[in-house]
Amino acid sequence: MDDAQLMVSIQQGNPMAFKTLVERYKKKAYYTALRLVGDPDDAYDISQEAFIRVYNARRRYDGAKPFYAWFYTILSNLSRNHLRKRSVRLNHAVRTMRLRRQNPEYYNSPEYFLELDETKKAVWTAIGKLSFEHREVIMLRHFEDLSYEEIAILLGIAVGSVMSRLYYARKKLRDLLGEEYER
Amino acid sequence: MSDEKIRQLMMKIVDGVASPEEEKAMAEAIKENEKWRSELQAFIKIKEVTEKMQFKDLPDSYWTGYWSDIYRRTERTFAWILMSIGSIVILGFFAYMALSRFYSDPDISLLLKVGVSMALLGVIIMVISILRERLFARKRERYEKEVER
Repeated sequence: MDDAQLMVSIQQGNPMAFKTLVERYKKKAYYTALRLVGDPDDAYDISQEAFIRVYNARRRYDGAKPFYAWFYTILSNLSRNHLRKRSVRLNHAVRTMRLRRQNPEYYNSPEYFLELDETKKAVWTAIGKLSFEHREVIMLRHFEDLSYEEIAILLGIAVGSVMSRLYYARKKLRDLLGEEYER
Repeated sequence: MSDEKIRQLMMKIVDGVASPEEEKAMAEAIKENEKWRSELQAFIKIKEVTEKMQFKDLPDSYWTGYWSDIYRRTERTFAWILMSIGSIVILGFFAYMALSRFYSDPDISLLLKVGVSMALLGVIIMVISILRERLFARKRERYEKEVER
């Protein structure tokens, strides 16, 4: 059963179809959120919240459009709002400190979820400093390996705008990385 | 070649999707320009690094509770909605009863009744105003697009 058929089934009140959809996209949703917010616990919460929003808004789903593009918009907005909310960040800081105290090796992020050497760590840190829009386009292109056309569909912008945004994101990344990347 | 065209071609080259003609055109365009050449090299270098950055696979145990967590959260959201509506109905009922008694009591002075009415009206206007502001802010935030190049 493809995504659109599953959504029709969910609209008809079949909870097992919703479960199938969750099972199909849970890892992708989690890793996408992780790349956007940079924290495993928050990524877990955000990805789940995105599925709950899908369920609550199931009647508004337009079957003519790809499911993942719709789902990505929800996930991306949740991630963006999460990063904007100062109070959530504060809670997260407190929670992370607590978790690190309990299990310092496990929560020494980003090594917790990424295989990193010094160079990669510098790049990851720099990506974390980008604006949400720049980080998002870098993630979609560099980590999810999506084509410009696919990114354009997900972000709801023109292909030319994707390339332009990618250029400025990479430029900013280079500036953040400093001298080694300026030669 | 315009700067915008160079930027787009540069992206295609970094991402390995440029045609041989485009690569040739790009090489020609940036031949005399150190700034473009340096940018291109830096972008390629960054791309090479990120290509090697792999997320670790999480153990299967991490995913076992995923669906049940979603189910639980959905259930609780539904419970919260029911509890909230129920509480509003109960509070509304008691408020109505109390106000009915208050206004129908001939021993309470008219001045006090007018004062309570004005205070209540003030509270209602305040609540509506806050709700409207919140809803408006939410709508605006949802559709707000930050202009990022």
